Amino acid sequence: MSVVKRPEGKANWYLPGILTGMMITIKHMIFNLTHRKQMITIQYPEERYPYSDRFKGNHILTVKKDGSLRCTACMLCATYCPAECISITAAEHDDPSVEKYPISYEIDILRCVFCGLCEEACPVDAIRMGPEHQTAAIAGENFIYDINKLAYRSGLKGGVQSKVDDEERHSRGL
Amino acid sequence: MPKLTIDGKPVEVAAGTSVIKAAQTLNIPIAHYCWHEGLSVAGACRMCMVEIEKNPKLQIACNTPVAEGMVVHTNNDKVKDAVKWALDFHLINHPLDCPICDQAGECKLQDYYMNYGLYSPEMNQRKVKKSKAMSLGDRVVLDQERCILCSRCVRFTTEVSKTHELGIFNRGDRCELSTFEGRPLNNNYSLNTVDICPVGALTSKDFRFKQRVWFLKDFETLCNGCSTGCNVTVSYNQNGVFRVRPRVNQEVNGFWMCDEGRDIYKHTNKEFRLDQVIERNDQVGGAAVKGKPVALAIQEIGKSLSATVKKGGLESIALVVTAQYTVEEYEALFELFKNTVKSPHVYYWKNNEEDFDSFDGLLNRGDKNPNTKGLSDTMTKFGFKGTWEDFEKQATSKSFQYVVVAGPEDQSAYPDLEKKLEILNKAGEVIWLSSCKNEKFKNFKWQIPMKSFLEKEGTFVNFKGIKQNIKAGMSIIPTSLSLQEFSKGVFESMGGMA
Ligand code: SF4
Ligand code: SF4
Ligand code: SF4
Ligand code: SF4
Ligand code: FES
Repeated sequence: MSVVKRPEGKANWYLPGILTGMMITIKHMIFNLTHRKQMITIQYPEERYPYSDRFKGNHILTVKKDGSLRCTACMLCATYCPAECISITAAEHDDPSVEKYPISYEIDILRCVFCGLCEEACPVDAIRMGPEHQTAAIAGENFIYDINKLAYRSGLKGGVQSKVDDEERHSRGL
Repeated sequence: MPKLTIDGKPVEVAAGTSVIKAAQTLNIPIAHYCWHEGLSVAGACRMCMVEIEKNPKLQIACNTPVAEGMVVHTNNDKVKDAVKWALDFHLINHPLDCPICDQAGECKLQDYYMNYGLYSPEMNQRKVKKSKAMSLGDRVVLDQERCILCSRCVRFTTEVSKTHELGIFNRGDRCELSTFEGRPLNNNYSLNTVDICPVGALTSKDFRFKQRVWFLKDFETLCNGCSTGCNVTVSYNQNGVFRVRPRVNQEVNGFWMCDEGRDIYKHTNKEFRLDQVIERNDQVGGAAVKGKPVALAIQEIGKSLSATVKKGGLESIALVVTAQYTVEEYEALFELFKNTVKSPHVYYWKNNEEDFDSFDGLLNRGDKNPNTKGLSDTMTKFGFKGTWEDFEKQATSKSFQYVVVAGPEDQSAYPDLEKKLEILNKAGEVIWLSSCKNEKFKNFKWQIPMKSFLEKEGTFVNFKGIKQNIKAGMSIIPTSLSLQEFSKGVFESMGGMA
């Protein structure tokens, strides 16, 4: 049988320990009260911590220079997506140089596992994963993100521009 | 018959056979774009290079006839290198279109690039730009940039459809495929050009952008559009059927099918189908009662039929059939009528009989039923002779109490449907068996959902008497029945009367 032997008497001397601990707390309190700008705690949800742009959060559909969707409806993202949560309906565009575009693009965000494979599959940088990570909503349908939400939600300030530009590609004779 | 060796395997083929054909009998693949078994040899693409021993240079397999003792290599480094360079040249002006190109996934450029290419392009020139998304006619769209000028489609319109709409214009890298001024590609076989185009230059307006091909599954069956009975492959997925393409059968359709037949899938998709039992309920003023379980409906039908039979009302039960069902289904239904209902009143409803013998010279026939011969043979077998005219006479003079109608699956093939329905409406209670819904059927006592030809197995007999099978490839309306199932259900609920 093993018995924990406590050093006799020493256990009663707890007061110095508590006082040392209190000192540290009070020191920080005074520091925080006098240096409020350097405080680490933030007042969520009024204040939010910005995540890195590389964070794999909510999807963004990028746009072309003219503000129309960059997506060509190739469905490679939908093919690659392991959660099968992307559904796209393609249609014929009036402009033969664009030819194909999505009339609907929906991501069922509750099924998404935020793996980022869609971003990786896209040949034209049309889908990216952004730093937004708070996806709370009330009604069920709010979790199916459509083109309006994915490309033009207010946080994106009119849309994020894609890095792949067809016009530029054509002008280089590619 | 010359004997030769291809990749170490000996083979004996008829004199005059090309090397590529001989290799095909051995299942040795040789890359090719322009060669097609159903067309003349063009020798345009230079992809089918093979090495023939004692021959200083590589030869094209499609235009080299076999010779006694030939030793052919199709897969050594020299051949692979030649194919790689041929492919590189094909792709010099090819656009980067795969993401928006319908052919992607079944494109020979992609396939051969993975098999033979895998190089980085070495061209440093600007690509030649041509027209994109040009409409060639009612059904076909051309992308000139994607065309590799194999001339398959041109040869098709010259040799098979003999309509001569397509041609290759200009020279060198400005060569482009197009139609002649004022002659759009509108012949009834135009979609075959889309099938044989090895790349995504020709695409079908109907199928364009509906699905990516890798989301589709295929199964083999027959076209039910006319009495020729072309062999086809149907592509579908959980959202429905998307396209129909021909399958090779030298006895029946060769390599091709007509454009009319491409639409046969349309009526089978959910939105056009009768998906539940609809009953006209006279107690509530003839309102439609929907959704009664099929088994229950059939029980009721069986009971009222057997009550009539018991009362000796044989003369008041009739059966009308159209030639759109399988031989096995007719047999089951006729068995029921001959042995259980014991009614001699079986009538054959023919649509536009006057066009039955018309033929466009290639495949399409005026008889828009897949099983005309099957039906008349089975009727003879059971000793039934009634025609629609007989039915009309009987129906107007004495009026039937019950008429079971195996109605047309494809209603568009029955232009006089409405007139015929008026006559049917004279009967007391019509039991209408049908795959597709139509407001015009609302006066019938019963509408029972039937399987379409994609959902059942059976035999169609074509105009020549060739027996071919359709396959149950998919299920679209799970509650629907085949005529066998219907007959069995009625037989059982009639108490198996004999
Ligand atoms: S992040 Fe992954 S799971 Fe989510 S949509 Fe993209 S591919 Fe699908
Ligand atoms: S987001 Fe990209 S990968 Fe997805 S369909 Fe659009 S272009 Fe294709
Ligand atoms: S023809 Fe083939 S290689 Fe060319 S764009 Fe279409 S899929 Fe890609
Ligand atoms: S359109 Fe297609 S079939 Fe016709 S020449 Fe061009 S690549 Fe060949
Ligand atoms: S297939 Fe032989 S040259 Fe084209």
